[in-house]
Amino acid sequence: MDQSVGLRHDGSRMPAVVARRPSPIAWLIAPALLLFVLFFVLPFAVMVAMSFFSSNPISNPNAVLTTRHYQRFIEDNAGIFHDALWETLRIGLVTTAVSLLIGYPLAHWMARMQSRLGHALALMAVITPLLTGIVVRTFAWMTILQDKGVINTTLISWGLIDKPLPLMYNEFGTVVALVHIYVPFMVLTLIGVIGRIDQRLEQAARSLGAGRLRAFAEVTLPLSLPGILAGSLLVFALSISAYVTPSLMGGTNVLTLPMLIAQQVGTSFNPGFAGALGVILLTVSLVIVVAYNRILARVAGEQGLA
Amino acid sequence: MSTPLNKQPFDLGKTAYLGLNLLLLAFLLAPIAIVLVFALNPTPYISFPPVGVTLRWFVKFFETGDFMRSLWLSLWIAACVLVLSVVIGGACALALARGHLPGRAFLTAFFMSPLMLPAILTGLALFQSYLLSGIGRPVWGLIMAHTLIAVPYVLRTTLAVLHNFDRRIEEAASVLGASPVRVFFEVTLPLIQPGVFAGGVFAFIVSFDQFPVSLFLVVPKGETLPVVLFNYMKFDLDGAIAAASMVSILLALAVVLVLERLIGLKAYVKL
Repeated sequence: MDQSVGLRHDGSRMPAVVARRPSPIAWLIAPALLLFVLFFVLPFAVMVAMSFFSSNPISNPNAVLTTRHYQRFIEDNAGIFHDALWETLRIGLVTTAVSLLIGYPLAHWMARMQSRLGHALALMAVITPLLTGIVVRTFAWMTILQDKGVINTTLISWGLIDKPLPLMYNEFGTVVALVHIYVPFMVLTLIGVIGRIDQRLEQAARSLGAGRLRAFAEVTLPLSLPGILAGSLLVFALSISAYVTPSLMGGTNVLTLPMLIAQQVGTSFNPGFAGALGVILLTVSLVIVVAYNRILARVAGEQGLA
Repeated sequence: MSTPLNKQPFDLGKTAYLGLNLLLLAFLLAPIAIVLVFALNPTPYISFPPVGVTLRWFVKFFETGDFMRSLWLSLWIAACVLVLSVVIGGACALALARGHLPGRAFLTAFFMSPLMLPAILTGLALFQSYLLSGIGRPVWGLIMAHTLIAVPYVLRTTLAVLHNFDRRIEEAASVLGASPVRVFFEVTLPLIQPGVFAGGVFAFIVSFDQFPVSLFLVVPKGETLPVVLFNYMKFDLDGAIAAASMVSILLALAVVLVLERLIGLKAYVKL
């Protein structure tokens, strides 16, 4: 398609070369490139560089290159850094698993919904929370899960419990709120993939005698695996970098890598160590991002879109 | 066509399936709805069940200087981010879709990557760069940071529209003698407008609600609304927060309706 347009504009001489040469429109990429180099690539390079300096190399002429920030993390004399890393990954894994369990039925239901109005309303219900700020959504969960919150006061007034259940200021509350915040991403990723699966495949399986569940388990579920993977990676990447929710819902009982980073910048004012922690978190995220892009590219490739 | 005998058990399964999904939708929406209850409940601390209806928390929110200052700052920043990201992201989408650029897939993934990388790290990296270069923490630095996060949204909506529209319309215009510039301004631009606008609306709300990127980049007395709310919530949980949250929720609802009208929410399904 692109080539036929190239041909028409530029005559028929050396069509292949003409079609591949960037058109003047390509220059429109310049502002974005400038923005991303100055405010994205360079800053991340600075962050990585800072993690190898003993102190600010501009203001302090005695700053030297060092790996001591990383050593500090690896040695972990205070015994908190490894726990924080593990807790971050654990919260990420549980959040991802629960988001998948909640997100899959919703996405499947929405992808197969006949009614246009129903679909639009369900989409609104998924996207409205997504567009509400993280701070606001975390606040909502605090009002629900705290000792005097909706759940505990209701259960106490019904006489089901005497003392409030510990629903907040722990990993449980953190995961509940994180699931609520990130499940829309899971749903939106899955709807796309499930929607592309030819429904007739499942119908064929059923007409050949498979039950509803078996047709789903052996046809639709395996075909939606790329969506499951992509959605899970996305939710995992988002939840390991969450800061607001663990610090408000977890209180002093939860310490994640992003919280540790904020501490190093805010109270300890140790940008070098914060940088090293950032590089560790960045490495984990980059691995996930690359995997995510590979999977999505493959899904798109199979559909002949790439 | 299923036989009447088969129909009964299937309906049961279907009802359970429908019930489960309505329950899941309730899980998504209930926390948002509950905020309204607390915004209108007159007790000094968050308590349940509500004992009455009052507007005092909205009055408190709109009369508290810190809240108002940060609300206006957030709105101002979001407006700047909207304009910047629409121009930069819209141009970038055109270049990617029409520029015959080499390495297009890589470039697209690159420009989308701020969405996937931890936002708190983008904030940290910018904070350290501003610190190192002696810029400090000016408001424009925050605006650029938000723009960086918002451009991928504009890019996504614009690319979706560019991907969907019939290129033969452009070709027809050029065959009929329109210059490339004229084709661009009279055909391409009007056609991609809804996508660009939708991206702009998204950019606005992303900036307005932005927390992790702002965290390290705001100065005392110059915090954005989410940062002020966060700091307030660490010590005090009263109806004023609920009232402030309602402002954010109503804005989100308005944005959802605008997006649905502009390009349809379906455009967000393929991430």
